[in-house]
Amino acid sequence: MKKNNILFTMAFVIFTTMMIVAGCAAPAHISEKGGAQLWGESCGRCHNTASPSTFSDVDWDIAVKHMQFRAQISQEEANKIVEFLKSAN
Amino acid sequence: MKHILLGVMMVMSVSVMAQTTDSSFSSKPGNSRYMIRGYGDANFISGEGKTSFGNARFVPLFIYKQSDRLLFESELEFEIENGEVEIALEYANFYYQLTPNMTVRMGKILIPFGTFFDRLHPSWINKLPTVPLGYGHDGLLPTSDLGIELRGATFLAGMRANYSAYMTNGPRLNDGEEEADEIGMIVPKADIDNNKNKAFGGRFGLFPFADQSLEIGFSAQSAKLGNEGSEFEDIGAFLYAFDWTLVKNVSALGGRVDLRGQLNFVNIDNRPYDILENGNLETFDFDNKSKTSFYQLAYRPTFGSQFIQNLELVGRYSTLTTPEEAPWESESTQLTFGLNYWMDWRSAIKIAFQSDEVEGGHDSPGLTKTDLFFIQWTIGF
Repeated sequence: MKKNNILFTMAFVIFTTMMIVAGCAAPAHISEKGGAQLWGESCGRCHNTASPSTFSDVDWDIAVKHMQFRAQISQEEANKIVEFLKSAN
Repeated sequence: MKHILLGVMMVMSVSVMAQTTDSSFSSKPGNSRYMIRGYGDANFISGEGKTSFGNARFVPLFIYKQSDRLLFESELEFEIENGEVEIALEYANFYYQLTPNMTVRMGKILIPFGTFFDRLHPSWINKLPTVPLGYGHDGLLPTSDLGIELRGATFLAGMRANYSAYMTNGPRLNDGEEEADEIGMIVPKADIDNNKNKAFGGRFGLFPFADQSLEIGFSAQSAKLGNEGSEFEDIGAFLYAFDWTLVKNVSALGGRVDLRGQLNFVNIDNRPYDILENGNLETFDFDNKSKTSFYQLAYRPTFGSQFIQNLELVGRYSTLTTPEEAPWESESTQLTFGLNYWMDWRSAIKIAFQSDEVEGGHDSPGLTKTDLFFIQWTIGF
């Protein structure tokens, strides 16, 4: 198990560095997606999608920020989703 | 108990008042925000000679957003168990956004080992009234723990991906002092930090298709389990899991298909264990490997009347195999069928039938069959 822990620590450092570098820019076919499409894809992965009228603009700011962290959504995706929800509620 | 309940209710009332003041009446509300979300459910169970209104739960989730980078969340669970209200802190953690796509989370966190507990455990998200084998009583899999985690979104070879890497206090080993016939079993519950060792783990998820309909994930965790200074101190565990999620509207089937599953392996260092049975010392020397899985398919029509479109059919098959020759050796299968009626996107009435078969097990050796019928009314808020 000692060996496992060393391997895990090394993998963690390499992995984190890779993720920081790779997470900087989305490929074009992903960054071209609109808020409505991302809302359907990201929310519907785990649960039924919420109607935009469920929350006020202020509450959507909190709910989407929360889900950005929980559902591992990128900042760019979260911005588009919250803009769509505010425009459609 | 009453004092605790009263205290919690007061804190929540203040939070709701603060939210109302900020959101509804102030023209310049500032940056700090509270939100109360969560879920509740009521259950009816029938089978094995018993018919009763079972558990009822109230699970408030408190969210505080201090800024665009800093957020705190905490979920409490109130449930009725054996006639008393039980309270549990499911999770309580901070998030801080380090980069646009990377966040650090610290506190009591949901462990991203696979997807079921991290994402699907709330009853308004879980499509069935029960959880798969491997969770719950005598569960083998990590659910929540005290620790720190880096998580976020990323892109790999043109594909969307997500990642988590965490360090927690970790699981412990059942040393047989409390329940002798569970000796050598992993105890994932994070109630005691029993040694200096920390658990390291993570999950990586990849979306091979541009529409994000399919996600495949791999998780792993390594930790030492034994109590510090005990003869079991050096016993370690390596857990790993594969998970998959496919959510897609399939026009040929006239509906939305939701296919999920998780395959988990729990490998613990081998070690002979001595148990005193009927005055005799018996040695159990077994290959301490367990595995558990679930495969779930749900279908919700997109044709017909609104009533038809609110219906959802669900089936789940789950397995659990514990080590041969262990005092807790067992082989279990579970088949669950359900019909849900969605009253809203976050409120449903679920009807389900579940059949369990257990071969072995420390409670009742031999083959045990259990058939249960459930009705659950759940709401997310």
